[in-house]
Amino acid sequence: MAAVSAAKCQEVREITRIERIGAHSHIRGLGLDDSLEPRHVSQGMVGQLMARRAAGVVLEMIKDGKIAGRAILLAGQPGTGKTAIAMGMAQALGMDTPFTSMAGSEIYSLEMSKTEALTQAIRKSIGVRIKEETEIIEGEVVEIQVDRPATGVGAKVGKLTLKTTEMETIYDLGNKMIDSLMKEKVQAGDVITIDKATGKINRLGRSFTRARDYDATGSQTRFVQCPEGELQKRKEVVHTVTLHEIDVINSRTHGFLALFSGDTGEIKSEVRDQINAKVAEWREEGKAEIVPGVLFIDEVHMLDIECFSFLNRALENEMAPVVIMATNRGITRIRGTNYKSPHGIPIDLLDRMIIVPTSPYQEKELKEILKIRCEEEDCEMADDALTVLTRIALETSLRYAIQLITTASLVSRRRKSMEVNIDDVKRVYSLFLDENRSTQFLKEYQDDFMFNEIQEPMEIS
Amino acid sequence: MAPEEWLRLIQNATKTAIIQDGKRKVHFLMKDGREMVEEYHLQTNVVVRRAWKEKGKLGQDVGWKVEIGDPEPRQSNIEIYGIEESSNTPFITRRITKTALEWRIRNLTYPQNVYSVTAEDDNTITIRTTNKKYFKKIIVPDLERAGLKVEQDRISFIYQFNTLVIKYKKPPALLELEKKILDKILQLKARNDGDVQCPIS
Repeated sequence: MAAVSAAKCQEVREITRIERIGAHSHIRGLGLDDSLEPRHVSQGMVGQLMARRAAGVVLEMIKDGKIAGRAILLAGQPGTGKTAIAMGMAQALGMDTPFTSMAGSEIYSLEMSKTEALTQAIRKSIGVRIKEETEIIEGEVVEIQVDRPATGVGAKVGKLTLKTTEMETIYDLGNKMIDSLMKEKVQAGDVITIDKATGKINRLGRSFTRARDYDATGSQTRFVQCPEGELQKRKEVVHTVTLHEIDVINSRTHGFLALFSGDTGEIKSEVRDQINAKVAEWREEGKAEIVPGVLFIDEVHMLDIECFSFLNRALENEMAPVVIMATNRGITRIRGTNYKSPHGIPIDLLDRMIIVPTSPYQEKELKEILKIRCEEEDCEMADDALTVLTRIALETSLRYAIQLITTASLVSRRRKSMEVNIDDVKRVYSLFLDENRSTQFLKEYQDDFMFNEIQEPMEIS
Repeated sequence: MAPEEWLRLIQNATKTAIIQDGKRKVHFLMKDGREMVEEYHLQTNVVVRRAWKEKGKLGQDVGWKVEIGDPEPRQSNIEIYGIEESSNTPFITRRITKTALEWRIRNLTYPQNVYSVTAEDDNTITIRTTNKKYFKKIIVPDLERAGLKVEQDRISFIYQFNTLVIKYKKPPALLELEKKILDKILQLKARNDGDVQCPIS
């Protein structure tokens, strides 16, 4: 059984990866089959079958795009995969559906009000698919010439000569474009398109006239005709922008450069009303399509009562996205009040939500997760070491055990071994305290720490 | 577009006129929200400049697109976009005279005998070179607005000083349309002093 599930998680990997390894970078989807049945170990997800199945149902609802303003609460103890499920949903939705992820404490900013931050987050989660004309350059590369300064530092200067069957033009290249041409390995004889606005390069193939340049060509080399007519063409492309992006472009005080600097400040509600009207108009004319997305608020108990009542109202709007929230709190105080409520969320908002519980992992599941993480962090681990680590995860926490993977692999590398064995794990276990042992330690040696005397008068009073 | 339609668009537009630097400058705010500026020479009443304010689909400002007259000086934004035409590639400017529409294509360094200029079925004036170095389809907005087709026998061109000058003799229908519009513009009360705010929306 274990061997089968291990084979399952060996899914297609990119050969070159640029991203760094994050806490959830092993997650590539929800791991459901076509009938929404969760597979035990798939796409980096392990266990939590009920919650994943529920997430799959929610996913179908989002993909349908018909239902607006639903809220889903993922509730469970720390380290039970709430964020993992949300990330899995984001991956499963694909690139075209807006997925905004924020933490509850992100709304507390000095520069904008809480409601503005929430409104922006909501509008970032609604996409508009729209057709737009862009200018592209399409031609066969005649020559590409890059001059580096003799000193080796400083800006490169480049020229690119492109031709069609009718004409030929020389273009000057900026530094970024030179780099991306290099990266794409563009050379004379290639037929390429360049999007003038974004600078995106697309290699269509090699020109037929250059088919005899080399004696041998790879089987995947595609030969295409040299383009005809003018080099610069206007082409209609479909792309998805979020309502927030349209807001920013149209808020006159900032202009669309604010999108790049990220400093958008507050946006007037009149602007938003105008945009809503315009988008509705486009939609009626069939020029645009609404793509409702997902807003994920992690640590939702950090929101206060004002935000909750704002959310209550905002969810009723027909342009509202599906809001997924996650919390690890039980019955606790609602921030900004003295009332206690389940998950720190007011009852009236809770009433509008569907709640998906996550439960603590079983020992077998912990082992699978640790195995996946080992693979993600490029660390080979002996079977007995993994068993010990699973034991540690069971007794302390999953997060602590995951921390030990990389540290243990570093220790094993010090003794020039490729595989992490049981002693390495034991060693890092003694080197780094988990939360329980740390508390224990503090209790024992409380008197030797600084400022411990302050504690005492408080205890007396 | 039928000529009446264009005439009506001009007629219904909110127009503001001032006289400045020996030119009558007229700002049009069309009913469909587009903005256009025309500049007429005071003595000859010929359009020396016509520009449209372009807006992106999402409402962002793209800037002015010059239809007639010298183009706005280009600032180099090669580091933003990463690619732009080399400074010695050919470029087109447009002029209008009393009797003809004119195009000047500068920076053409090829021999005199390679050029051919033809009226095509897609209602463009097409410039070809036999050495396959330059090719351009010119759309003629003036004719499109008057609902006219491009005719081969009105086209003439000469090549000198690295410049190809193409002339298109104005057809009578276009002359008539231009005259009607000019009449309307001359009726506008033009302010002589500087600071006039044009309505933009």
